[in-house]
Amino acid sequence: MNKIIILLAFGCLTIGALHAQNPTFSPSTFTAEDQVTLTVDVTGTPMAGEAEAYIWIFSNTSIDRSNAALSAQYPAADGSTNTNWTNSPPEAKMTAAGTNKWSFTFIGTQIFGQSPAQLKDFGFLLKTKTGTKQTSDYKPNFFDPLVFTATMLRVFPAKVSTSDIVTINFDRSLGGTVNEQRMTPVSATVTAYDETNAQIGTPVTLQVRVFATNTWAATFIPTRHFTPAAGHQLTKFRYKFNGTVLDVSGNTVNVSSAEQEVTFTRMN
Amino acid sequence: MKKNSRILLILLAAIITLNACRPDKFEDTGAVRNVKTSFGGTWKLSKVTQKDEDAAQKGFPYSTLDLTTLFPYTDYSITLNVTNSGQTTTFTTTPGNSPAVIAVANGDWSAGPTQYPTYLAFKQGSATDTLTLGSYPAGGRNVLQLKKERRDASTGKLLVSYTYEFTKQ
Repeated sequence: MNKIIILLAFGCLTIGALHAQNPTFSPSTFTAEDQVTLTVDVTGTPMAGEAEAYIWIFSNTSIDRSNAALSAQYPAADGSTNTNWTNSPPEAKMTAAGTNKWSFTFIGTQIFGQSPAQLKDFGFLLKTKTGTKQTSDYKPNFFDPLVFTATMLRVFPAKVSTSDIVTINFDRSLGGTVNEQRMTPVSATVTAYDETNAQIGTPVTLQVRVFATNTWAATFIPTRHFTPAAGHQLTKFRYKFNGTVLDVSGNTVNVSSAEQEVTFTRMN
Repeated sequence: MKKNSRILLILLAAIITLNACRPDKFEDTGAVRNVKTSFGGTWKLSKVTQKDEDAAQKGFPYSTLDLTTLFPYTDYSITLNVTNSGQTTTFTTTPGNSPAVIAVANGDWSAGPTQYPTYLAFKQGSATDTLTLGSYPAGGRNVLQLKKERRDASTGKLLVSYTYEFTKQ
């Protein structure tokens, strides 16, 4: 009996470990003006077992750089600690937070030298001082907005859990491409992913409704449409709007908007 | 004689005026009303509003959305059973095709704190779902308003809320 209990407890711990988010942030939501501490577990990366770790941090990783308007609004910037790849400064040194775990505390506006309105997200990696070893990028990690910025794609509410009612919105007047500015949406496509970034099931096509002038919306409940495989969890989704435009010959052409990714927030 | 009549009239007016200054006697209001009895009965969901609490707190636009017609919420009804003495007993829900409203389907319900409740708790086995009360459905008001709050699991920060408005059947 005791063995069964121990095995069950071990199983639960293993599943819990698999579900652990990496990296984690304290507080879990933060604006570009808030101090935040990130903690990352580098087990299984080239940085595992290293005695020291240095951060290499950069802003606005989720921006489509082929979109000139977005690129101008959210310029990419290196953190002030990114002085020299082969000789990271002491300011970039991370704090040990357990075996293979490192943490780093910063304020977005200070480390990137950008205003809150210019900061959408950031990415980072861990490296040795000389840059001979490194992890892959951990990105994008989104800042909470301090001022409302109207965008072509918007999720309501801004933070959603897997069981919330989620409304995705498309504002044509804020489209970044000619097709986005001209298209009349007829559907939205939602694709869900688990914590390993594996797609869950097949993408779901939602009917859209007119929300306001030049704005269309679609509403869904993630847990009703997507069931992750056993031992996995619904972690994020991507969505885009699909519609039609007329080409120069007057023919109807199917087009889609850019895609946006939304990570679910764990809520009680 | 005419002078005496005038004096009498003045005296009469003075007596009436002074009598009017006497405080009224208040009738006994009786026993304190048990508001829990007003929760009893079958309530049908008539309106659902979703609120982005963080957006509202920051003064952002798009902070609320009426969900009533987006899903078959009006299928949902709940029956709250209560004794004549105001003791809460059992509850049952009829969800139809509505999205989840109360996390448990049936069981026991309670209202707390005792005298002036601010929340209703619905219990089924070991699972409990607690919703905040809006105004009491007392007097001519046959509307029961319950609010479900959704908080960040790690910080406890209020992020989203759902306000459910039920109409008595």
